[in-house]
Amino acid sequence: MNEDKIIKGFDPIIMKRLVSYLKPYRMQTIVASAALIVLILSELLVPVIIQYSIDNHILAETVSVSGLRTDSIMLMILLAGGLAASFVQVYLMSVAGQGIMKTLRVELLEHTAGQSLAFLGGTPVGSLVTRITNDVETISELFSTVIMTLIKNLLVMAGVIGVLFYLNVNLGLVTLLTLPPAMIITLIFRGRARTAYRRVREKISAVNSFLSEHISGMKVVQVFAREAAVQALFDRRNSELLTADFSEMYVFAVFRPLISFLSTFSLAAVIYFGAGLNTRGTVTLGVLIAFLDLVRKFFRPLQQISEQFTIMQSAIAGGERVFDLLDTEDRIPDCGGACTDLDSDAGIDLCFDDVRFSYKDGEPVLRGVSFEVAAGETIAIVGYTGSGKTTIANLAARFWDADEGRILFAGLDSRKLPLALLRRTVQAVQQDVFLFSGTIRDNIALGRDFSDEQLLAAAETSCLKPVLDRLDTGLDHELSEGGTNLSGGQRQLIAFTRVIAHDPPVLILDEATASIDTETEKLIQAGLHNLLRDRTAIVIAHRLSTIRDADRILVLGSGRIIESGTHTELLELKGFYSNLYNLQFGLSAD
Amino acid sequence: MLSEYKRLAPWFKKYLPMYIAGVICLLLTDAGLLYVPRLTREAVDIIAAGSPDLHLILRISVIMVVISLFVVIGRFGWRFFITGSARRIESGLRGLLFEHILKLQPGFFEERKTGDIMARFTNDMRAIRMACGMAIVSLIDGVFMAAFILVILFIDYPSLAGWIIIPLPVLAVLVLGMGRLLGKRTKRVQEGFAALSSIVQETFAGIRVFKTMSREQYAVEKFSESNDEYIRRTLSLVRIWGLFFPLINFLAGCTTLLLLWFGGLQVMDGKMSPGDFAAVLSYLNLLVWPMMGAGFTINWLERGAASLSRIGELLDVEPEIKSGDAQTDDGIPVAPVGDIDFRDLNFSWSEGTDAVLEGISFSIPRGAAVGIFGRTGSGKSCLVNLLPRLYDPPPQTIFIGGRDIRTYDLQTLRKSVGLVQQESFLFSETIKENISFTAGDAADERIMEAAEFSTIARDLKEFPFGWDTMVGERGHSLSGGQKQRIAVSRAYLTDPEILIFDDCLSAVDAETESKILRQFIEKRKGRTSIIISNRTSSLSAADFIIVLENGRISAKGPHERLIKESGLYRSIYRLQQVEHERR
Repeated sequence: MNEDKIIKGFDPIIMKRLVSYLKPYRMQTIVASAALIVLILSELLVPVIIQYSIDNHILAETVSVSGLRTDSIMLMILLAGGLAASFVQVYLMSVAGQGIMKTLRVELLEHTAGQSLAFLGGTPVGSLVTRITNDVETISELFSTVIMTLIKNLLVMAGVIGVLFYLNVNLGLVTLLTLPPAMIITLIFRGRARTAYRRVREKISAVNSFLSEHISGMKVVQVFAREAAVQALFDRRNSELLTADFSEMYVFAVFRPLISFLSTFSLAAVIYFGAGLNTRGTVTLGVLIAFLDLVRKFFRPLQQISEQFTIMQSAIAGGERVFDLLDTEDRIPDCGGACTDLDSDAGIDLCFDDVRFSYKDGEPVLRGVSFEVAAGETIAIVGYTGSGKTTIANLAARFWDADEGRILFAGLDSRKLPLALLRRTVQAVQQDVFLFSGTIRDNIALGRDFSDEQLLAAAETSCLKPVLDRLDTGLDHELSEGGTNLSGGQRQLIAFTRVIAHDPPVLILDEATASIDTETEKLIQAGLHNLLRDRTAIVIAHRLSTIRDADRILVLGSGRIIESGTHTELLELKGFYSNLYNLQFGLSAD
Repeated sequence: MLSEYKRLAPWFKKYLPMYIAGVICLLLTDAGLLYVPRLTREAVDIIAAGSPDLHLILRISVIMVVISLFVVIGRFGWRFFITGSARRIESGLRGLLFEHILKLQPGFFEERKTGDIMARFTNDMRAIRMACGMAIVSLIDGVFMAAFILVILFIDYPSLAGWIIIPLPVLAVLVLGMGRLLGKRTKRVQEGFAALSSIVQETFAGIRVFKTMSREQYAVEKFSESNDEYIRRTLSLVRIWGLFFPLINFLAGCTTLLLLWFGGLQVMDGKMSPGDFAAVLSYLNLLVWPMMGAGFTINWLERGAASLSRIGELLDVEPEIKSGDAQTDDGIPVAPVGDIDFRDLNFSWSEGTDAVLEGISFSIPRGAAVGIFGRTGSGKSCLVNLLPRLYDPPPQTIFIGGRDIRTYDLQTLRKSVGLVQQESFLFSETIKENISFTAGDAADERIMEAAEFSTIARDLKEFPFGWDTMVGERGHSLSGGQKQRIAVSRAYLTDPEILIFDDCLSAVDAETESKILRQFIEKRKGRTSIIISNRTSSLSAADFIIVLENGRISAKGPHERLIKESGLYRSIYRLQQVEHERR
């Protein structure tokens, strides 16, 4: 996905696809369009009424106060009508724009969340967030304001020209004298403004990404005492941004005054030629005064139109990125089918049958792994970093599909099970717990309906209960983002409770690599034990107690199983395991 | 509210001439604009009188054009001077803020979210720019235009003015009142947007959990609810917003309506000329928008003040780690050279928590290579983080060259004490730039040499663009070992007086680590090196090794001696020997 597609040419296909989202809001669009027409009429008729009143009632041979009163009432009605129409139009289109925005956002999130981890892992979270929030926001703006005001401005300009000609053809022509230069200036401006805008965006994003990166990497900067150099780099980016800001400002500072100059120029021309025509009796004073007003009405939209085109183009570019994402299909293939639970009363056994896998071609991670886990058995997998332990967890949960070989649950090929069923059957848990902002309850239930009893029972089993009891609000305790207001051990207990509540028959547990202090160890020990009880489990083990408690241990080395057996058996073997074991846990072999 | 702006005083002072020039331009523009209706009136009256003198009219038209040329220049001028200054202030403040946070200790960044700090640099800066630019323009423009037009109207048309300005107080109240309400609701919308974004952010950061539990639908539901809330907030804003501009238009129209009625009657009575009518019409048109802008000013200034106070909060954070001021007689900061002494060092992360280091006392003679060995959590990293004062040791506990490290100039100290951490941080730049990060002007040969040293040079051919390959979030992804070796090259290039490797080759295989470290010790003869590693083989070349257990020194001596004494070091050494032989 290209972040730099800020502005592109007008793409009718994207536009068509965008407009198709307007369908459910047909009524709103129709009513809003009608309101828009009323609004435009009211804007155009105001000068006409004034002209009419001046020529026919105020400056006429026989003045007519009652006529003037009628005109004033008419004007009042027009103004009120304009007010109402304007509100109705803005409100209805906002309703439509907001509705479309929601549809698009939810569609995008749902679609994207359904993609494979391979895709999601390879796409920076930040860019997904930008797609779903900012890009969609621009699109909604397109519907709620830009399209309508653009149409309105174009129609008002056309209408003004129409009224000018209706009032007086010659004077109309005089006014339009400034139209060609105005259009040329606008065209030049559009190009310049676009370039300037793009440059500003680029520089802003350069400054921001520099900032966020150096804030994250501040320690490195300070360790090497590179503050001055980093400051210099930042100052360079900052001043480039300022330069870009200035060049954008110049564009606007020249364009806007020029257009209003043309407006005054037209005014002067209208007065001069109007005076000439007036002497020949073709232009009344009322018409002349109306022209003075209309000229201004003509030039005001001109100032806005080019900006609206720019917004429209960036909305289309946003649309393109959004549709790119929406059209991405990279899911784990789901065979579908009926989602009846596997018969798990007797437990479910798990089997890896000569599984081979590589994330990248030519770099095999698993080179033929076969093992069986009996129902209810816990096996621990140990091995050095990079030996493929985590890959086993990923394949078992079918976050990736094996290149060769099969993974069987209760004798059934995991690829032939409906994905929803598979995910209910086998759950992979990481000990680097991810907690969402929300309550503890939300974090455990993840939106499934559990009664308080069920949740508390799960908390009891996982040993989270004592922690809950100490909190005033218990299950409804509000977690800050990432659950940073809890200790590491407490967070793990919440994750355990989550699994126990959802109760999968097969569990893949990836233990945290970071060492755990004694206190945490104590805290989670019992919970972990209960979690593994009565479940078929594979544990990517880093902790001594987990390994010792396992029924069997598999030692993984360069993508193969090189040793297997119980803790005692393997120690006696005095092979790879006993080394690894002693190394990692630093126990004396004396 | 205005007191917050004191912080900007130096800039206001600096750009005062610019602001004055801008205000002059603005006033000239306004004066020009105010003059045009007078010309219009003159012209219309001449025309209304019948058989006009076209030369006179032409002169009026030409004057009009000339005035509007000046208006063009004036408008350009105030934009250039005032909004230009605002942009400069924004840019300057951004630079200042960054300079300030560069001085803050690592602890500060651990406590705060990057996003929070970033918001100061983005949204708050924008609000300040508005306050220093458009707010000032609108205020002056609005006040000046309103005052003058009202004066003109009341002097020239006293019997009419009272009537036609009736909608204006309403307009003023409306803009002030609604402006505030708009501000409030806009803020609520922005908060709603932030909530939306954080749900998306969380969903994808924690996508594994949802997938594992097959609960993607939950995220979608939560998101959908949050969207409904956002829509509710936006529409509540639109209900005001959608009424705001139309109402202003309406009120502007009402002044025209009142002019038509009352002015019309006066024209009929001959109390007013048609030219007067046209002129008043123009004045009214000039009046409405500046008044609205002036109303918004309050809002902009309020928001600017709020943003300034948030930025001020950051600027007021005092760097906890203060530079010392040891200087030579020539006024140059003393460079830390000489033996390193730890004297009864006790350290804990914060008061009242358990000590991480207890009673550490030992010396490292200048030029020695020292190994530090210990299990995870034994305090090794903490010990070496204290040397460059990333965390501050208590006074009189660590000395270099007989001087407390807290008395050295901080920059000089850190330039002399290099530290390569286990978690290597690479910037989104090329490999070459990441290596030369510490020495921006290093020659290519030196960079290559550093790359050879860490053996990362071997890997360069694997990368699509060699050492010009971009790394980091948007670039080529590197293995842990590659990152670590780049970080080692980085340190090699700086070649400081004291260099610390904090287990920074843990992701590299034992043989390569030991090879690099041996070379390293060889290369650095005469300067001090401290090496942390979990592999005894890597430490064997060190002059002596400190063994840390639970924050205390449990053994000390050269490799040869430690492997003869029973203890942690020997047992691990033997285990690693066995493994080595097996291979």
